[in-house]
This record gives sequence, structure tokens and C-alpha cells, in this order.
Amino acid sequence: MLLPGALYFIVFRYFPMYGVVIAFKDYSFNDGILGSYWADPWNKHFLTFIHSPYFGQLLTNTLLISVYKLLFGMLPPILMALLLNECRIRWFKSLVQTLTYMPHFLSWVIIYGIVLALLSQNSGLVNHWIEEAGGQSIPFLTSTTYFRSLLVSSEIWQNLGWGAIIYLAAMAGIDPTLYEAARVDGASRLRMIWHITLPGIRSVIVMLLILRLGHMLDAGFEQIYIMYNIQVYPVADILDTWVFRTGLQQLNFSLASAVGLFKAAIGLVLVLVSNRIAKRWGEGIW
Amino acid sequence: MIRTPRMFRLMAVMLLASGLTTACGSNEGDSSDAPASGSGPSPSAPSDSASPSADSGKVVKLDIIETGNNLPPPDKDFIKRELDKALHTDISLTVYASGDDYKNQLNVRMASGNFPDLFMVPDRSTLKQYVQQGLLLDLSPYKDQLKAAVDFVGEDSLKKTSFDGKVYAIPKAPNIPYNTYWIRKDWLDKLGLQPPQTIDELLSTAVAFTEQDPDGNGKKDTIGLTGSKLSAFAPVFGAFGVGNPGDFYLSGGKLMNSLYEPGMKDALAFINKMIASGSVDPELMANTGLQHQEKAIKGQAGIVWIDWPNLSKDQFTEQIEKVNPNAEWIQLAPPKGPGGQNDGSFDIGGSPGIYAIPKALEKNEEKLRKVFDLLNYVSTKDGSNLVQFGVQGRHFNLEGDKVVPTDLMAQEAGFTWLYQFTGRPEKSYLQVKFEKQASFIDFADKQPRIQTLNGFLMTPDGYNAADANRYIEEETVKFAYGKRPLSEYDAFLSTLETSMNYKSFLDSAFQQLKELGYGN
Amino acid sequence: MGGRHMVRGTEERVFQIVVAAVLSLCGLAALFPLLYVLSVSLTPFSEVLRNGGFILIPRSITFDAYRKLLTESNVPQAFGVTAFITVVGTLLNLAVTSLMAYPLSRKQLPGRNLFLMLIVFTLLFSGGIIPTYLVVKSLGLLDSVWSMILPNMVWSFNVLIMKSFYETLPEELFESARMDGAKEFRILARIVLPLSVPVTLTIGLFYAVGHWNEFFQAIMYVTDRELFPLQVIVREILIQTQQPLENAENMTPTETLQMASVILASLPIIVVYPFLQKHFTKGMLLGSVKG
Repeated sequence: MLLPGALYFIVFRYFPMYGVVIAFKDYSFNDGILGSYWADPWNKHFLTFIHSPYFGQLLTNTLLISVYKLLFGMLPPILMALLLNECRIRWFKSLVQTLTYMPHFLSWVIIYGIVLALLSQNSGLVNHWIEEAGGQSIPFLTSTTYFRSLLVSSEIWQNLGWGAIIYLAAMAGIDPTLYEAARVDGASRLRMIWHITLPGIRSVIVMLLILRLGHMLDAGFEQIYIMYNIQVYPVADILDTWVFRTGLQQLNFSLASAVGLFKAAIGLVLVLVSNRIAKRWGEGIW
Repeated sequence: MIRTPRMFRLMAVMLLASGLTTACGSNEGDSSDAPASGSGPSPSAPSDSASPSADSGKVVKLDIIETGNNLPPPDKDFIKRELDKALHTDISLTVYASGDDYKNQLNVRMASGNFPDLFMVPDRSTLKQYVQQGLLLDLSPYKDQLKAAVDFVGEDSLKKTSFDGKVYAIPKAPNIPYNTYWIRKDWLDKLGLQPPQTIDELLSTAVAFTEQDPDGNGKKDTIGLTGSKLSAFAPVFGAFGVGNPGDFYLSGGKLMNSLYEPGMKDALAFINKMIASGSVDPELMANTGLQHQEKAIKGQAGIVWIDWPNLSKDQFTEQIEKVNPNAEWIQLAPPKGPGGQNDGSFDIGGSPGIYAIPKALEKNEEKLRKVFDLLNYVSTKDGSNLVQFGVQGRHFNLEGDKVVPTDLMAQEAGFTWLYQFTGRPEKSYLQVKFEKQASFIDFADKQPRIQTLNGFLMTPDGYNAADANRYIEEETVKFAYGKRPLSEYDAFLSTLETSMNYKSFLDSAFQQLKELGYGN
Repeated sequence: MGGRHMVRGTEERVFQIVVAAVLSLCGLAALFPLLYVLSVSLTPFSEVLRNGGFILIPRSITFDAYRKLLTESNVPQAFGVTAFITVVGTLLNLAVTSLMAYPLSRKQLPGRNLFLMLIVFTLLFSGGIIPTYLVVKSLGLLDSVWSMILPNMVWSFNVLIMKSFYETLPEELFESARMDGAKEFRILARIVLPLSVPVTLTIGLFYAVGHWNEFFQAIMYVTDRELFPLQVIVREILIQTQQPLENAENMTPTETLQMASVILASLPIIVVYPFLQKHFTKGMLLGSVKG
């Protein structure tokens, strides 16, 4: 049974894995990945980014944005799923479910366009209202004060309905007899959510959390790359955007690979540790 | 469980349907309608182009990749058809809309030995890397065979693609500058103002546009000046006799970097004054793509730093008129300042595109010859006219030497630039393709500009241009916005030189430019 | 489910009102921006500009942008390609993924933890684009639809999800089936899959949406324009306004056209969702499969 999948993983995932060595080499097209010379010193490409004057800032920004997105972004889809699950009006549930699912299909370019229409300082709707009400317009896009909130909230918005899908599927798998029994015992809605629904989706939550931790240093390249500008770099520039800009100047295989390896190694540690912790509660991926 | 089979049936139906769609699609592709093939005299046989190979009729497939967009499908691509006919080739051009996608594609193809026969090199650094790794064919020994192409782009241009005296690529014929300030004439009239001639007038006009309700809607909802990032102030830098931050150029015969010119500090001080006056787009630094153009067209801003196509092409004049029939945009000569009058800077080292041939093609003489034929053909009269204007008799007619466009040119021949592998004689070309805009083209071209040399430079090893550029941009913006006092300008320079390694870049840059014969 | 007959009516009603109110807010938050996209796609661009760029209810409607996309571009062709890779790809994905997930969900599988770790590992580490391209090339997949399907045949993430759902199925079911002499394939087909409709559809949706939004592999592995999927075309339209002027004669796509391309490219996959939803809510009665 495992064979087709295993074959896939070997051919398309593990076989190309030798490519990671270019993080330690000076890549040459003619010699290929394996034939290229080792970088001197071996960690040259790692030093390139560790020695960047911006390294500290990049790492802080990456971690902060990622942690914020995790902290504030994890819960809303779960709540959304709970609410949808409790909603008894079929058509309404379906409508909201579909509506909140749609933003997932808007690319960040489009979302940024919408953000501009709402928040732009001279023509945005929100600033228009603020000014009508006699207030001062707020530089949402160019001020370091608001930018991270903007990143986090626009991602939550985009992901609300999409993220809820998986929890809804998990809720659908909960044995209905549990609810029947609770109802007979006279349990309230909230109690049933707390004692039946949430435990029923606990393993999914834990697993998503562990996998999310593995991507701790991915703060959302595409979103930030499209939304940031020079005035918010101090709070918005992350490892990936830096690699991208640096790569524009030179062929960046080795540098990109080194940064990727760095990110993945930290992710791996986080996954291993969190999986071990989860196991104590009888959860975890393996 | 009862549901599942129905799901599968549904999917099977979708599958079939999709199969049919693709099948229909490709059928359509095959039965090409070929509207233009009969009309007009076909481009002459290759023998009377400059190409030396009037040889066998064997069709050679050429695989070409570059960035670009709006390439029609092969059956509607009349340029491909005509080129194939003239050269006995089967040209397969693939264009990539995103420069990043293109770079990825190019790199994997280079890495896998799946070389295109002719390709655009994204920039000079990439060119350098490819040259160092021996991926590109040294064209110097073939200069005779490429004579038409070399003559077309100008022998001197080859400097841009030469390393150690060897030519590794063909740069397109040089560009001309497009950018100027544009200003709302009707707003000036309404407020009884004249077009600003000095930077002080520029400032007072911008303030008037912001404060005095030039659109007469009773609301203070207009801004004076917009543009994209710091470049919106290019003519202001120019008025202080300096290029944009970080530019290299000759000043009085001496090589200079703009950051080290005394005028730079004064320029930043003046820009700070403009920004402090509240007449500059508060989101100037966040304007990417065409946001500044949109603000101009919407009637939010009265002065914009922009290229003529984006404000004067029919597509946009139509929009401008629909938004406000009275709106009238005119170009503005660069305002004068203490350092003279310069409409920003123009990079003479830049090229609108560089095309190279992989070294691997050396062994395939037949193909190589066809690539040369192609480059020569698009550089000589018939071929050049084809890739500039389209098919003679359909898209244009010749009256003597003068190209007279037909109505179809604007409709159908918008993509032909994708085949201009050696470029085009920019000005005469634009004057034909954009008859209505001819005066704007001419105006932009004629403005005095600082001729910068950045395009010739390559970054030395160990210098991360991304970090330095970020620092330069970030700090100059802080100076401009008054977030950092100009008294710290020297501290800024010394951090740049040390932490950002700018000193090594400066030394290397001056060295490189001297080797190319600039400065002394 | 179906608690109509419940006695505590007021509490239930209050609860439902709160739920509906919060959901309405979420729905509206999603609706407004989408309405904006739709309205702009239907409004002549000059009208959009005249309104300062923000339109929620179009006053004059035009289908020009849609007409242009459907007749003057590769959209219909690309739609076929996308539909093909989505349908075929998703079916293959689901087959291979559930085949993997089932054994991995059984605790008695030897080396199970190692397999799982190896799968998680690929979520974090990858060889990069060059070696992957070389594999695709050496398999002769360049310039074929399969290059957009096979390299992403299994998503590690989806295997893990599916496996964790299968784990919640009670062990007794499998034991009794084995006692009856059922082979593992039969157990998967007859017991596991029917009991896992919600998760199968969910994972199917994830895969389908992934295929539908596919552009990267297309750009990497395909040079034949006839094989470009929808998103490559949309991307081409969207990206032009993000980049500096490449050529004077380039026609910049208007925002109307951009939004229309977004709508065209996402509507088909969006309308699939409501049809899947009812399957999510069907609580699976264990008894229902026994018969």
C-alpha cells in the first residue's frame, strides 16, 4: 500500500535532496551541484547572512510576525468552525461558509489593492471616514506602528474560512451519540462544545500547531513582499525578503539554500520538541 | 457511502469534458486562419538581407526565451510566420511576464544543459556570472558574421556586454529617456499660476495645488506632487546638480558618486522642505507599479513624475478625459535650482535588453548560423521594419523611406517588440508608432539630464548591494522626511562605508569605470 | 443534530442569535471586499477612476472585460488545461494519499514512526529547484501536463492530516473485519473510506484548490503556451501593473480586466465548495456501515 507513495517520495522528494549541499558550495553551472567546489570556508554562505548588518532585525521581524500570526491566527478559524458547526440555519451556514472561504482565492496583489482602497491615506475609505468625523488621517501603510497589525489582520481575514474547513471536517467525524448522551444529561450548548467538540478536534489542532511550528521562520514572503515599502522595512523586512533582494544582485542558489537550511533546521528542532511535548498528552504526529 | 459513486461519476464527466475542451482547443490551433499570409508582398528572401546564408531550405528550430507579455498564440503570430518564411526557421519564442519567473527558468535550463538557442540575460551581474562560468559564446570571433547586428546596435554599445575585451552578448540599441514632470495645466489656469520654472516655484505650486482646491470641489482633497518613491524628486536632485542617491557620473570630467557631492545635502534639505509643506503625496514611498499614475488620472495629484506612455497614450488620455473632461496634462521642463537644470538622470550604461547565445551552440554550426541570420535579419531594413511595424502592406506602407502606419498597426502589431532582439532606432520608431504622442516623445528626449554610468558597474565580491541599497534608501528617506537631522549626514556616510562595505564598492566602481575610459 | 424537540427553547434561541450575529459579521467582512472585486470587474474602468477607485455597487455594467478575456486570450484553452490537471491530479492525489495514510494510521505498522518522520522531514527540507527540475527533465516530463501533476503527487501535510483522521477510527472495526478474512485493501475501500467522507473531501478540496491555483510548476516545466493553465494567464495580467514600464506599446491591463480575470479564474473552483459542504456535516453513524 505504501509503495506508490513511497516511490513518489523517493523520486521527487528524497532523490533531489542532494541539492541541499549547494548551501556549502560555490555553485557552478558546468560542474553541477555535486561537482561544484566546496565553499571556503564551508559556512561562507551562512556567514553572508549572519554577518549582514540587518541580520538581527531580520530574525526579530521574522519571528515576531510569525509568532503574531500564530497567536492571533490560530484561534479564529477554530472559532469560525465552532460557530458554523453550531449554526442551525442551513442556508445561512452554507452562505457564510462559502463567503468566508472566497478570500483564499484572492492573491496578495489583489488583497493589497483592496487594502489600498480601504486604508490609503489620501483616498482610502477608512481615512475618508476618519476625516469626515474630524480626525487626522492615519498612515496605515507607511507607519511602522500599524504595519505588522495590517499583516496579521489581512492574513486572518484571508484565512478565516479556509482554515475552518479542516476543523469542520474533524467535527463531522465526531460520534453523534456523544451529543445525544450529553443532551439527555441536560448539558448546555457551551458545555457540549467544551466537553465533546473541542476534545474531538484536539488531535487536529495539535497536529496543525506542530506543523505550523515547523514553519516558524516563514513569515509570509509573498504577502510582505507585495505590501511593504522602505518606510516600514525596520518592522517588515524578513529573512525571505532579504534573500530575495540579495538574490537580485547575484545568483543566489547557495545563499538561498543556506537560509533555507537554517530555517528548516530551526523548524525541525521545534517540531521534534513540540511533538515530544504533545506525546505526553497522548497526541503528536508520531 | 451512497454519495461516493455519484461524486465519481460527476468527476468522470468533468474529466471527459475537460479532455474535450483541450482537444477542441488544439484543433482550433491547427486549422490556423492565417489572415495576413496572402496580403502584402512577403518579406524578401534572406539573400537580400545581410545574412550570408542563402542556403538549403531545411527548417531549423530555434528556441528563444525572454521576459515580456501579450505574445499571441503561434497561429496568430504573424511575426513568427514571416521570420520563419524568410529564414527557414521554426522560431519558438517563450515569454515570461515576471522577471523572477524568467530568472528561475533561465537558471534551471542553464543548470540542466537544456539551453535555449538565444536568450535574454536579465542584467549585467547575471551576464558576468554566466561569463565567468563559461556558459556564453564569445562572439568576438564572429563579429564579421554578425556585422549587420553590430552595426545596428553600434559598435560602442558592445562595451556594455564585454569582459576582458571579449563580447559575450548583443545589447539592444539604446533607449531614450521617457520621464518628465507632468502638470495639470487646467489647475494652473484655475489658480492663475504659470508653470513653475524654479524649484521654489515648484514648491509653491505644489502647495497651491494642495491648499487652494484646484479641482473646485470645495474639499481639501488634492495633493501637489506624486510619483513613485524618491525618484519623484529626480528633477529636484538635478536642480542641485546631483544624480539620484548612489548614482555614478562624470561631473566636470571627474568621476563622482552623488552621495559625496555637496549638492546632495542641499537637495535633501530642499526635499525635506517640500515634504514638510504637506504638498507631497504622503504615500509616495509606498507607491509601486502604477499607483502614482492612477492618482494622477483620478485627479488627486497635480504634478507627477512619470513617463510619457503612461500619461499620454490613447488608452490613458481616454481615461483622463472620462474622469474629468477639462483635465489637461502638460509636460514640465525641469525646474532650475542652484545646481542648474537637469531632468533627473539617465543611465547610458543601461540597455533595454541583452541577448546571448549559449556556448553549447558552438558545436551546432547550422543552428548558430540561423541565430546569426536572425539577429542580422532583424537589424536590416526588411527584417527591422517587420519587427518594428509589422507586415508591409498590412500594418504599414512605405512612401519612399517613410513608414506610414495603417489602422491595423495599432490594433495588431502591439507585440512586435518581443522580436526586436537587437532593439530599434528608438526615436524614429516611437514617432511612427505613437504619432499623436510625437511631441511628448521629443520633449522628454530633449531635456538635459545627468548621464549616469551605473549600468556599466558590477558589484565586487563580498559587497552586498541589497544591504547597502536598503541603507541608502532608508536613510535618505529619513533625511527627506525629517526623521533624521541632516547634521548626521557625515555619520550616515561613514556607517555606509564601513558597516555596509560601500567603500570597497566605491573603489571598485571607480576602477571599473576608469578601465572603460571614463574619468581619468 | 436536529435538536428541535429540545425543551430549553430560550437558551437555545439566544445561543442561535449570538452565533448568527457573529457569523453575519464574518460573512460581511468577507463579502465587502469581494463585492468590490466583482463590481470593479463589471464597471468600465474610467467609471471606477471617476469614483476615486472604490465601487461597491456598479452603476453602469459592462461585460467587456469578460468578453475580452474569453475571446481574445488563451483563457478558454487554459481553462481546459486547468480542469484537466485539477480533476486527474486530484483523483490521483487522493488515491495515493489514502493508500499511504491508511497503513501509517495503524500503530502496528513496523517502522511507522520512521516513515512519519521522513514525511515531516520533507515538509521542512527540500532539494531546491535545480535538482527537482533535473528529475522532471530526466523523466521526460518537460512540456507535458504530467509535469504539473506528478511532482506534487503527494503533499506531506495532507498525508499527515488524513492519517490522523484515520487514527480516530475505532480499532475494533478493523479487528472484526480481519477476523472475517478481509484483506487490507478491502478494509480501506469498504470501511475506512466510507467512514471518512468528510476528510476525503476536505483533502480532495485542498488538492483540487492546489492544482487549480497551480502556476509555479507550469512556469518551470512548460514552455508550450498551449499547455499553460489558467493561473499563468491571470498572473501575466496581474503582474504587468506591478512592474515598471517594459515597453511603450504595451497595453496595461485595466483594473477592470484584472478583477475580471480574478473572478473568472476563481469562480469555478469556488462554486464547487457549497456542493461539498453538506458532506462535511453528515455525522457518520458507525452503525450505518455495518449493514
